Formats: sequence, C-alpha cells, structure tokens
Amino acid sequence: MSDVQIALTNTAGISSVVSFWVFVGSNALSKKRDALVKAGQFVLLIGFAALTAAIIWRGFESGRFPLSNLYESLLWFAWGIMGGYLYIARAYDLKQLGWLASMTAAVFFLYGSWLPAGQHEIKPLVPALVSYWRQIHVPPLIISYAMFFIGGLSAFVQLWQAGRRRSVFLACAALAAGLSAIGLGTFTDTNTFLLQGLFIGGSLFGLSLAWSNVGRADEKHVNVERAELYDEVVYRSIMIGFPMLTIGIITGGLWANHAWGTYWSWDPKESMALATWLGYAAYIHLRIHHEASAEKLSLVAIGGMLLTVLTYLGFNSLGFGGLHSYGKFK
Amino acid sequence: MRLSAFASVKLTIALMSLIAICILIGAWCPQEAQVGFQKVIDEFGESNALLLRQWGISDLFHTPFFLGLIGMITLNMIACSVQRVFPKARLMKQKMPFLGQREISKLTVTQEAGLRCPAATAMDALAQTLKKQGYSIAVKDGKLTGEWAKVSLLAATVTHIGLLSMLTGVTITSWTGFNGFKPVPPQGVLNFADSEHSKLWLGKLPKWSVRVDDTRREDYPSGDAKQWYSKLSVVDPSGKVLKTEEISVNNPLSYEGVDIYQSSWGLDSIRITFNGKPMELPLRQMGGANAAFLPLDEKTIMIFSLRGQDKPLRIFAKIPEWQQPKMLAEIPKGSVTSFGSVKVGYVKPIPMTGLQYKADPGLTVTFTAFYIIILGCLLAAFPFRQIWATAVDAGSGSCRLYVGGMSKKAKTGFSRSVSKNLKQLIAKFGEFIEPPSQDSLDLQDNDVQPMTAATQECSIPTGS
Repeated sequence: MSDVQIALTNTAGISSVVSFWVFVGSNALSKKRDALVKAGQFVLLIGFAALTAAIIWRGFESGRFPLSNLYESLLWFAWGIMGGYLYIARAYDLKQLGWLASMTAAVFFLYGSWLPAGQHEIKPLVPALVSYWRQIHVPPLIISYAMFFIGGLSAFVQLWQAGRRRSVFLACAALAAGLSAIGLGTFTDTNTFLLQGLFIGGSLFGLSLAWSNVGRADEKHVNVERAELYDEVVYRSIMIGFPMLTIGIITGGLWANHAWGTYWSWDPKESMALATWLGYAAYIHLRIHHEASAEKLSLVAIGGMLLTVLTYLGFNSLGFGGLHSYGKFK
Repeated sequence: MRLSAFASVKLTIALMSLIAICILIGAWCPQEAQVGFQKVIDEFGESNALLLRQWGISDLFHTPFFLGLIGMITLNMIACSVQRVFPKARLMKQKMPFLGQREISKLTVTQEAGLRCPAATAMDALAQTLKKQGYSIAVKDGKLTGEWAKVSLLAATVTHIGLLSMLTGVTITSWTGFNGFKPVPPQGVLNFADSEHSKLWLGKLPKWSVRVDDTRREDYPSGDAKQWYSKLSVVDPSGKVLKTEEISVNNPLSYEGVDIYQSSWGLDSIRITFNGKPMELPLRQMGGANAAFLPLDEKTIMIFSLRGQDKPLRIFAKIPEWQQPKMLAEIPKGSVTSFGSVKVGYVKPIPMTGLQYKADPGLTVTFTAFYIIILGCLLAAFPFRQIWATAVDAGSGSCRLYVGGMSKKAKTGFSRSVSKNLKQLIAKFGEFIEPPSQDSLDLQDNDVQPMTAATQECSIPTGS
C-alpha cells in the first residue's frame, strides 16, 4: 500500500472518529445542537471525500477494480455508511443518527485495520475473480449492506423515540452478541460452533425478549413526531437497500452461470443473501399491508441488520465454506 | 379448496420466515447434493452426520418439507398476484379528482400559506415548482392535481410477474435441462452419459462429445494461478470436428444449447522413468505443491514434489530415522538423473481439467424474469406522491394557498417537501397574514383551554 493511500484511508478513519465525538457533543449541548450537527456532518463529508479518493487511488495502484477481498469491501462498506448517512440526513434533516453512523464507520475502519497485513496488500486476483462481473455484482451488495445498517441504526433511534427503551437495550444486547461472535471469529481461534451459538443464540434470545417488551412504552420519553420520522427513515433506507441486494443476488447468479454453468448452487454465502432478501421482503410486506406497528417493524429491521452482518461478515468468521471461499482470509 | 384461501399476506410472511430459517440451516450444514456426504462427516463427525442425514438437514433443499414450502409459497404468490396485486395495476388509469379547500384540509398532509399575490399567480408558480420536481400536473378551474412516480404503483405487479416468470423458467429447465461435471485429462473425451437431470425429464442428450486437445495454467510472477485454459474440440460420433475453441474461467464454449465451462484445474499425475521403466504416479495436493510417493522398500520412500506445470521435479527420500525428508535432486522436464545404480527420469506432468457442463432451455425465460424482478424492486424504491392545491383570493392582491396530499410510503419526507415549496413561494411573493376576525377573537377568549401537562400526556399514543 502506498503512503498516499494510507494517508487518505487514515484521514477517513480519523474523520469518522472526530465526527462521532462532535455528534455526541451535539446531544450534550442542546443550545448548540444545530451548529454541532452541521459541523459533525462536515467532518464526515471530509472523511467521505478522503475515502472516495483512497478507493480510487487503490484502483489505480492495483490496476483493477478495487473490490476483491475483505479489507477492500470494508472500505466500500464504510464509504456506503458515510455516503448513505449524509444523503439521508440531508433529505430528512436528521439530528440523532449521526453519532451512530460515524461510530459504525469508525468500528469498521478499526476492524479493517486489525485484519492481517496480507489483506491490506494489493494482491493478484484468483482466476474466478478475473471477470468484469466482479464490478457489477459486488458493489450493489456492499451498498445494500450499508443501507440496511443505516436502516437498522435508525430503527434503534425509532424505538428510543417511541419510548421503547427496554426493547432498545435488549436489541443492543442481541447486536452486541452478534458482533462479539464476529470479532472473536476474526481475531481468535475460538471454536466455530461456540461462535455460531453465540451469534444465533444471542440474536434470537435478545430479539425475542425485545419483541415481548415492545408493547411497554415509557410514556415520559415518547416523541411521536420523531418516532414517525425515524420509522420513515428505516423504511426509506430499506427501500434503497432492497433493490441493491436484489441486483447483487441476481447479477451474482448471472456471473455464476457465466463462470460455472449454474446460476444457483445453494452455496452458504448466496443462501444467506437469499435469507436476508426474504427477511427484508417480509418487512416490506408487513409495512405495506400494515400488519405490524412501527416499533415491531423496527425490531424486524434490526433482525434484518443481524442477518446482513451474518451474510457479510459471518461467512468469514463463523466457519462457513463454499464457492465464495476467496473472500476468506483464515 | 378455493385459490382465495391462499391469498393471505400473513401466510406469505409466515412462509417467507420459514423458508429463510430453512435456508440458514442449509447454509450452516454442508449440503450433500453440493459437496458430498464426506464433507458433512468432516464437519460434524460420523455419528452426528448420520443424525443430520436422518433428519434431512444434510440435504435440506430436497426434503419434502422444503419443497412443500416452495410449493405453498408459489400457490400463495399466484393467489396474491391474481386477487390482490394485479388488480392494482388498474390504479394507473385512475385520474385524480380536483379537490376544493375543504377536502384538501382533510388529507393526511395538509398545509396552507398566505401569499401577497393573486390566486392565479400563486397556482401558476406552484405548478411550475412541482413540474421542476418531476410531478405531472393537471389544472382546472383554479384547482391543481399532481402525481409523482405513479409508475411505482406497478412495482408489486412487475415484481410478482418476474417471480412467476422465474418459476416458469426454472420449471422448463428442470423438465428439459441437464448438467454435470467431469475431470478430463488431455486427449480425454467428455460425453454427457453421466449427466444429472430431474426425475420428471423430457429432454434429450446430445450425441456429440467434447475432446480436450490441451490444457494449461497461466501464473502470475508470484506463482499464484492467474487463469486456466483448455483447448476443446466438439466431435460427432464419426470423429468429425464440428467446432474448436479455447475456454478459460469465465469464458465458456457454447454449442447447440450446451455450455462447457472451465471449472477447475489441477495436476493429476507425473510420468517418470525408473531405471528406464515408464511409470505414472498420482499426485496429491500438499500445501502449495503436488506430491507423489514411491515406496522403494519397507523403510524408504521416494517423494516427488512438483510446484507447477513448468517447474522442475524435486526428488526427496525419507526413512524413519530422518525427521524431515532429504532432498536428493531437482530435475527439469525431459531429464534423467542417477542415484548410484538407480536412474530416475522426469517425462512430464499430466494435468486434469475440470469441465462443468449444462443445458438450460429455460434460461432465457429465467434471465428475462431476473431483469423484470430488478425493475420491480427498483420501482418500489420510488414513493408515489399525490398532491392537490387550490388558492382563494383574499382581497388587496393577496391569496391563501391550500396544499395537501398523500404519500403512503414517505409521509414525513413528502410533508417536508410541501412545506419547503410553500416557504419558497413565501420568499418569492411575501407572506400575507390575515388579521384575525372578531369571531375568532371571541372564540379564543371564551372557548380555548390552555394546554396543560395533563392534556399533553393524554394526547400521546401509548400502545403499538
């Protein structure tokens, strides 16, 4: 990796950390909230521009489309989170989502920086990846994951604004269990069955408890208008992510047919992507047909975010094999 | 049973959830049909693997339960499409009625503003603003209607047509297509006798076959594989060559509806001479190299290691007393070396190309369906918005503009865009604030209660 690329990537990483603290400050100092939110967005915008330049620079350095391993995909994911947040925050004039979005970008920068050095290096492509389909198939998927994350984060804010604090804490616990399993699976040699149990068990247990508590509103902390606003942000984020995921899955099928002669192989990664697609399709049906309250829909969106984590990172760190093994580094 | 019994959205959601759970279980457990039962044993141990097979988990996607779920969701989709989704396409033809001030005030989003301009000017300016934002506008008798992204009403219809077409394509393939995989050495022949197809099969296997004329691997300077190539000839039963082509990963050969893919590549064996006697030793993958083993006596093993098709052959010996094998020699292709009275020659490596093949007559339908599904999902991303407006002259060159509308998918964003438009108009013409009438002042004095903390709490919805 060249010094320029390192500098640009570090600028983006540091910007996400700085903007996180500025957004946190905006919540602490309510009189200066608007100014601090704008400052936080400006810092994040600098990070977004630096990351865009870093990705383009990496492409020039490698002489190929810079999306071929986990590290590069994490750069794209952080780019999607930053860009997605800036777009949605501008459209809806959001005040609360910034610290969550910048924290997510910062966590993913850290995760990427801790990966083995071999991941950071520019390496030649394996035969299966030498295809123009790579740049058609992968970016929509990564962007969809980023939009689903923004939807999931907005769902936490929606529940909070609807006074469902107990459900927020329980859903946070579910997410923490899932992310812990991913972290342990990436950086330690913990038994994969234990990790899978932690991810699935923690997610199911936490979300089930959150669901059973979703009727309990802390009425002193209800802000109906903001809850409605964030419910819509969840929906809009998902409605951007869903077509992207559809395009990603279908172009994956077209590529697989072109390369291997079959567009569907029940490979673990593609199966998980299909399960995620079905999860969000269920969300959309629930929403359109008014089959669930906004708070229950938020929990479905958080469940979708956990499915997204499983599809995107669980494959690498929780011991799944299959045709997408070139995405692995362990 | 009537079809309407299946047209339930709750059933759709239940089936989607069950199918998603099954798919996740199938992703967790290696599937016999894809990777073989041995992989299940490697992953879970023999006894657990047998248990998983007994429960149907190791081949979940072929179990009657999973196929039943797919059958149910197909029926559900057909029923929902016919009874709920397709009829909605008629909404495309429906024209918006022109609404007056009273009706507009009852809409889910409703706003008004006083402007220092005549009603006709305000309506013209609003129409221009909305047109710039992509609304299709109609104006009649001082009343305005506008629609944005009306085509998104077709999203569900288009997506369902795509999904049903995809099922049609998959069914055609299942009844008439075939596929398979075969590792073939140079000069070997691939025919389709061992191909796989469904039990309900109406297709035909081709009489021609494919001969591998040559196969090779191209490396990066680092030694990692860059590409695999195979030169293929399509030959008829009499031996006549019908077509020749060199394939590589991502570049298949197509002939009469059958596609041949470069799927994998490896070194299969080495041809050597041992004291002049030709031998062929099978290679096994060991780390980054391929190795062959030749026992010389009860204790001594000769090991041949080959790192690549064009690399020299390295010869090692191993006896129990040595912790590591000892390297004896490195010989290039076509050379002979001597170890005392023993002469070993390296003739050549024998590669094996992995060829995947398939005939998929339903592919055109399936791929068309894929594009229709993408189109449907993209349409769904745009929220349909309807807007109504009217303006009433308020005297002295001013007016009140009433704007209202609906957007089921993005109410808050729509409401913000309406107020932004009104602010723009106020900035352009100036705000007209009507002086309160005597009636309204009397009302304020006598009837309006100040909002207390108690009334505020009562107004907060508590349930979900």
